[in-house]
Amino acid sequence: MNKLRFSALPAIAALAGLLALTGQPAQAQPSAQAQSYVQQNIEKGLQILNDRSVPDAQRRQQFRNFLLSLTDIQRIANFTLGNARRTAAPQQVQAFDQAFKDYAISIYESRLSKYSGQTLKVTGATERAAGDYVVSTTLVDPNDADSRRNPLQVDFRVQTENGHFVIIDVAVAGVWLGIEERDQFASFLSEHNGDVGALARHLQGLTADLQSGKHPSDQPDNGEH
Amino acid sequence: MRGLRIFGALMAGLWLAGCATQDPSGNNDPFENTNRAIFAFDDKLDQMFFLPGAEFYVNTVPEPVRDGVHNVLTNLDTPVTLANDFLQGELDRGGESMMRLVVNTTVGVGGIIDVATKIGIPYHEEDFGQTLGVWGVPEGPYLVLPLLGPDPPRDLGGGIVDIFLDPMTYINLREHTLWSAGRGFASTLDTRARNIDTLKEVRATSVDYYATIRSLYRQNRNNEIRNGKADIENLPNY
Repeated sequence: MNKLRFSALPAIAALAGLLALTGQPAQAQPSAQAQSYVQQNIEKGLQILNDRSVPDAQRRQQFRNFLLSLTDIQRIANFTLGNARRTAAPQQVQAFDQAFKDYAISIYESRLSKYSGQTLKVTGATERAAGDYVVSTTLVDPNDADSRRNPLQVDFRVQTENGHFVIIDVAVAGVWLGIEERDQFASFLSEHNGDVGALARHLQGLTADLQSGKHPSDQPDNGEH
Repeated sequence: MRGLRIFGALMAGLWLAGCATQDPSGNNDPFENTNRAIFAFDDKLDQMFFLPGAEFYVNTVPEPVRDGVHNVLTNLDTPVTLANDFLQGELDRGGESMMRLVVNTTVGVGGIIDVATKIGIPYHEEDFGQTLGVWGVPEGPYLVLPLLGPDPPRDLGGGIVDIFLDPMTYINLREHTLWSAGRGFASTLDTRARNIDTLKEVRATSVDYYATIRSLYRQNRNNEIRNGKADIENLPNY
């Protein structure tokens, strides 16, 4: 077995060299780029959230701009609204897109701010299809022994778009936020006769609550559906 | 809690047999109206009793004591995890569970201190619902039960098998009923107390709280079945 492995090694090396010479992209390279993209940008995002020297409103604006540069919110909006996009009136879809953008940014901010002060470590990446990656990371609170022993698993879905990377979904402990939102919106629409305008108004209300400065957990019951 | 679970399974079985309708929405939730009504009932109970109880517990009992309670409960669940590790063919993880049980029960003083994690054998949890998932059994239609919350047939049935996998079921304690009621109560309180902030946030920021919990439940269970490996193949296309 060992012998075989040793004898195969030069052949593999030669093949790899040949591929490099003929200009074939090496498989590992784009994955590695996706990994460093996540590492650098999430660290930067956590730094923005951490910087208490900046006034709250300004920090929020910085974070918002930063997130918008990192993600493709329109694609996420397309995904979460699903088939309803094709049947709803264009004005309603437009209202949804705007409301979703504000809602999504507020949700990311609210959820990510819980992890400020924590460190992110990229543990690997898988290329699902050409230009479609899942980058796996762990988040650790360096000041919490329990967190150091049981780091939180966070995965990022990263895709290439016009030659650059965009983050299109994030999963905490295996739960993808985009999928959760799509499931919710589909349910809301089936409970409200497919009224996309009503969904847009509902999102606006939730966003206003989130942005009013109060932590969402201080909010009273927002009712059953 | 156990008697309730078996009763729940019987009722759910009768109910499933009685109204097998097709669900056109693709959510695999053919009893959605009933599920929503039970979910609303559970949520009311939660807001009136379980949440305030959990908050009282967190505010009055110091953290080291709560950690000790959590560790004891986790240690009591370890034999079930161990049995399911082996049923899933996960021999390494089974070995870890066995080490955890021995180390924490002895050095960890009956499970109060999680010594195993400190020496590099981290906690993991398995149940028979997950084992069925590993064996390829689908989750079945979504079900919400009174007091128990989300519990689709695979996980409900799995929970009953777990009762029989638990050695405590066969230990003839004098106060057996009192003991298992106490364990069930402590376990509910511990779980609720550990999720106060997360559930508050989800509840306040959800467009549809019922649908969010359904999505969270399913995604989380699938993640547990895969032991935390990202489900790369089955991700939707954007």
